[in-house]
Amino acid sequence: MKIERSNKWINHTALSLMTAALLAGCGSNQVQSPNPSAPADQTAASAGNEQGGELTYALATSPDTLDAGASGFAVSHRVFRNIFDSLVFQAKEGTFQPWLASSWTKSEDGKEYTFKLRTDVTFQDGTPFNAAAVKANFDHIFAAGRGQSRSLLGTFSSAEVVDEHTIKIILSEPFEPLLAGLGSGFLGISSPKAFEQYGDQYGKHPVGTGPFKFVSWTENDQIVLEKNPDYKWGPPGADNKGPSQLDKITFKIIPEEATRIGSVQSGQVLVAETVPPQLITALNNDPNIAVDQSITNGTAFSLYINTKNEPWNEIKARQAVQLAVDVDTIVQTLYLGTYERAWSALTPGILGYDSSLENKVKPDIAKANQLLDELGWKQGGDGIREKDGQKLILRYLDGSPNREKRNDIAAIVQQQLKQIGVQVNLNITKDTNTPITNGEYDIFGNSQVKADPDILRNLLRSDKVFTKGGTNWSNVADPEIDELLDQGASESDPQKRKEIYAQIQQYMIDRAIILPIYVFPYTVAHSKKVEGLKFDLLGYPLLYDVTIRK
Amino acid sequence: MTGTIATRLLTSLLVVIGSSMLVFVIMFVLPGDPVLQMLDGNATTPEAIEQMRQQLGLDQPFYVQFMQYFLQLLQGDFGASRIDSTPVLPKILAHVPATLALTAVSAAVSVLVGTILGVLSAIHRNGIIDLTARFVGLFGISMPTFWTGILLLLLFSIHLGLFPIAGSDGWKTLVLPGITLGLVGAGFIVRMVRNTMLEVISEPFIVTLRSKGLTERVVMYKHALRNALIPALTMMGVMVGELLSGTVVVETVFARQGIGRILADAIMSKDMPVVQGVVFFTAIIYVLVNLLVDVSYSFVDPRIRRSQ
Repeated sequence: MKIERSNKWINHTALSLMTAALLAGCGSNQVQSPNPSAPADQTAASAGNEQGGELTYALATSPDTLDAGASGFAVSHRVFRNIFDSLVFQAKEGTFQPWLASSWTKSEDGKEYTFKLRTDVTFQDGTPFNAAAVKANFDHIFAAGRGQSRSLLGTFSSAEVVDEHTIKIILSEPFEPLLAGLGSGFLGISSPKAFEQYGDQYGKHPVGTGPFKFVSWTENDQIVLEKNPDYKWGPPGADNKGPSQLDKITFKIIPEEATRIGSVQSGQVLVAETVPPQLITALNNDPNIAVDQSITNGTAFSLYINTKNEPWNEIKARQAVQLAVDVDTIVQTLYLGTYERAWSALTPGILGYDSSLENKVKPDIAKANQLLDELGWKQGGDGIREKDGQKLILRYLDGSPNREKRNDIAAIVQQQLKQIGVQVNLNITKDTNTPITNGEYDIFGNSQVKADPDILRNLLRSDKVFTKGGTNWSNVADPEIDELLDQGASESDPQKRKEIYAQIQQYMIDRAIILPIYVFPYTVAHSKKVEGLKFDLLGYPLLYDVTIRK
Repeated sequence: MTGTIATRLLTSLLVVIGSSMLVFVIMFVLPGDPVLQMLDGNATTPEAIEQMRQQLGLDQPFYVQFMQYFLQLLQGDFGASRIDSTPVLPKILAHVPATLALTAVSAAVSVLVGTILGVLSAIHRNGIIDLTARFVGLFGISMPTFWTGILLLLLFSIHLGLFPIAGSDGWKTLVLPGITLGLVGAGFIVRMVRNTMLEVISEPFIVTLRSKGLTERVVMYKHALRNALIPALTMMGVMVGELLSGTVVVETVFARQGIGRILADAIMSKDMPVVQGVVFFTAIIYVLVNLLVDVSYSFVDPRIRRSQ
């Protein structure tokens, strides 16, 4: 009897000791800096001075393809921006500067753009860069292009080779966002020879004119790029103009958050992307690590209310939702002050952002209740409002996996709307396209990355519904808005454009079509040895200027 | 003996075909439209969607699709991924070695740790060794692999810097994932070996052996252990299935290459040809291992050999 009891005691002590040891092992690490003697430096720098070295960059997801014209994913852009250059360069303040095109002119009617191309550029496979090569890229996009490239080209109708180093782009309608599109990596210029050589496998063998050449892609593991030694046409935004200081860039695909951040803490990679908000403070306290955040421009993550479905086709019903959702609480609770709260559909860094919308809508439960009362929705027995035997239900559609804690936003909105007697039915699914196609949703969250406010056209124009190739989640169909959007796309005076887009943004808030939630910052944690890491207007990393300090 | 193996091979073939069929049916009835999934948010026109559906043969009825798939499979054609249009067979072959290495290492960890602890635990029943062994067993069975994996990473990779955190190059990257996954198997084997050892020890022939004057060491390790190994071996066969399915999580946590990860990605994006290919391969591995286990019985237990 006695022996058994003591055994039990030992059992318990052993258990708790072992658990404690394990927890101590991981707990202390959160606060302390990583062991400096970790095998960090083997990957970091092989050369003695600032020249050379391998930059290891941990990505959270894998690119789908490295064919710039065929991808729609930000992660692909982060990789292939290093392989491809663009015709023009868009600076952070939004202005355009020459890159592969040395100059350009726009016709009076805004329908023709003529680009003079640099004459000293060659592709990484030795193919000369010229007007025919640029034309081949447009042909490729319209033959096989998926992704973003086509929508960035807008009203593009054809490209014409004027002479060896002059190309003309002809549009069917004036399209002011064209230059922004041409500056994007999604319209980076590929070698026409490589298109032919690799056919439908080109996305696994990209060849451009950029500072880094593609070496290999091991699926689910890593993508390796090496320095292009002949590079001497660096973009205006870069300090460097010649070949990169780095010998090599290795993108490692590490989906698990703890592993990815752990590998930068231990020095096994030099940069890791997408740092979760709860770790930012801890990493900031680490003497060896710096955290950089860059706003991704385009549309803020917003909830789009489907204005086609009853009862949400009524403006008062939507306003009730708008007044009952406490966005500050959501953003503060989930992102701990590391994400900025959004006020408009557009992000603050984009041309035409309307700052007058800031602090315009404040939560007001009493007002929200009053609006629903006015519509005849009466409080039911279970706290959910009813009218004509129907419950007041909001079908909330959200994607899976839980990107940027968006599913948690859904859960909080569900709680908040309960206060005003709205029952939120969550549908969290990998395949959001099917319910959207069938119109089976009342609210849906989305954000997009783009450098021009014309992004709103795809979200609001009456012909841009999802089944016709658009992203008009709210099913807005208003001739006045259509008119404004068309004016915005063709207006060449920036001041007038700003006014047009301000009107559109106000419309979206005043009519309670969207609930803007947060502006997504692209966050990377990197070793302090990494210097010169920059971000472009859209928040994509620029690795060309990076050096690794020994 | 050869006859038995031939029959086993034949039934194994049926298992492989059956599992392919089952997966085909499951993927077919799962909700979600594969064409819309492929577009992944890139909106397009209904005509383009319809055209894509026709190209992929997805407008055909179920039995036509299945027959087509099956006929191609018989010709060794696994098709191409619908997402990146790479052929499935080379894709899988590129990932199989990493998964096999992980499964082999974790199976070795399971057997070694499991058997040693199981035997020691039975011999030193209720002692401190027994308690430790039982704790390891409980830990292995009840801890989710992603959690064990992250704990090991934090301690050995981030804190102590002994092993690489991510990747699948070199033996060092196999240590932590191997232990993570191996602990699960070890947990089962510890319990199994301990229980059967305890049973065997209490059998009359052990008393006979002891009374013959054999040393305790010979009694335990030569006679008792051998008898206790049969159930453990059977366990091994089943466990390989466990381990193979466990690779999905472990490969993600440790950012390793492997068929577990391509399977998970493919299921998410309804990439049928890849899912089918991986299931086919996994079934083959599973069936082969079980065949090996069955054959090995006869080496451990002469009675089985004779009865055949």
